[in-house]
Amino acid sequence: MLDTHISHQPISVMTAVNFGELKLSRNPAETLVAFSIGAGIGVTMYDPVIKVGGLLNFVLPDSSTMSSSQAQFHPFMFADTGLAAFSDALHNIGAKTDNLKVVIAGGAQIMDQTAAFNIGHKNHQAVTSYLGEKKLAVHYADIGGIFMRTLRLDIGNGDNLIQTLGQTEVKV
Amino acid sequence: MTNVDDIISGIDTLRPIPPVAAQIMALAEDENSSMSEIADLIVHDPSLTASILKICNAAYFGLSRRVDSVRDAIVLLGLDEIIELVLLNATAENFRDEPDGYGLGEGELWQHAVLSAYAAKILAESHGFTSQKHLVFTAALLKDIGKIIMGRFVAFSYEKINILVHSRGYSFNEAEKEVIGINHEELGARVGQKWRFGDQLIYMIRHHHMTDKTARDDPETALVYLADIICMMIGFGTGVDGLAYRFYSEVLDRMKLTEKDLQNVIFDTGQRRQKLDKLLYLV
Repeated sequence: MLDTHISHQPISVMTAVNFGELKLSRNPAETLVAFSIGAGIGVTMYDPVIKVGGLLNFVLPDSSTMSSSQAQFHPFMFADTGLAAFSDALHNIGAKTDNLKVVIAGGAQIMDQTAAFNIGHKNHQAVTSYLGEKKLAVHYADIGGIFMRTLRLDIGNGDNLIQTLGQTEVKV
Repeated sequence: MTNVDDIISGIDTLRPIPPVAAQIMALAEDENSSMSEIADLIVHDPSLTASILKICNAAYFGLSRRVDSVRDAIVLLGLDEIIELVLLNATAENFRDEPDGYGLGEGELWQHAVLSAYAAKILAESHGFTSQKHLVFTAALLKDIGKIIMGRFVAFSYEKINILVHSRGYSFNEAEKEVIGINHEELGARVGQKWRFGDQLIYMIRHHHMTDKTARDDPETALVYLADIICMMIGFGTGVDGLAYRFYSEVLDRMKLTEKDLQNVIFDTGQRRQKLDKLLYLV
């Protein structure tokens, strides 16, 4: 009789984290993925001790510059409100700040994009300043350039995969 | 270098836009035309009527009652929305396929086209100095039509293009021109000529990356250019060309667009993007 392997792991799932969304997971079979990140930034934070993590896919640096009152209903579109909500949510499910592995990818820019209009650069500054304030070290950053990126976080092992279109995937 | 005439002959493989869509667009830009003239045009085209009614009755629009006639649809949704649906419906077929070469998945070029059109509309309403909002919408929708034909030539020459872009500071469209002899905006303009688009629409397609300095003074082309750039930054339906196009701050200055304004338009376009998937499924 053939030796049949029966997996006790749940079926692996890939969950898309769209533009302006935050998703958290403790399902070891789940991979969170943000496809085609442009000037926005994908941020993953993962606690390897309790194996929970999340992915924030924001696109603008600062919610306070918005004239639309709609902004308050879309906190994950912005670095400031998105990262604050992300930290709170991780804390609420038991993650410890000291344990967090942080990876950021994105912040691309149009060629010759001048400083004031360089949203990708401003997004990077916003993340760096927030993480600095919270004393969170960045494990790996893939920022800038003129490329689109895809960022994945494997909840089972905390591995991040960063794919730049037309290039090989980087695992961190 | 590939023979440019061979590439241009590829235009014949596209499915031409139905004449009724072009007529509706022309009427929409004419201040003297009336709503009933436009409604008449749609009503006299049974397949277009059927498509519009089907779309309008989908749950997406959340109408409280069933729409049974084009006039009903115009009253309930507004003429602008109906014209936009006609334009989306007329262009969808060409854009849905997966073009080779640009690293785009199925439907991604179409997603980018539609979001650009709505971004251009948002810009035209908030910062545009134009009465030609449907023209701007259409130009943003059609600006990359050249990519459908260019794709396989880009695929063939991708290594060379990639070197120019990533090692020699070329923008993607400059590299296309250098390596292949024509770029996607010139090819798009050729499509427009072949299909007898109006001169202004052809101009906007040809200059949507603003390589030609004089185009930067044209307010309508500026809206299409900015809409494109905003969609690249958002990262919707963008391929291997990524964000490898040039930024001209004088275009924003001329429109008196501040950094804050730009961020607000990105936010509004982002809101639109979140609702887009359902609409794309319908048209």
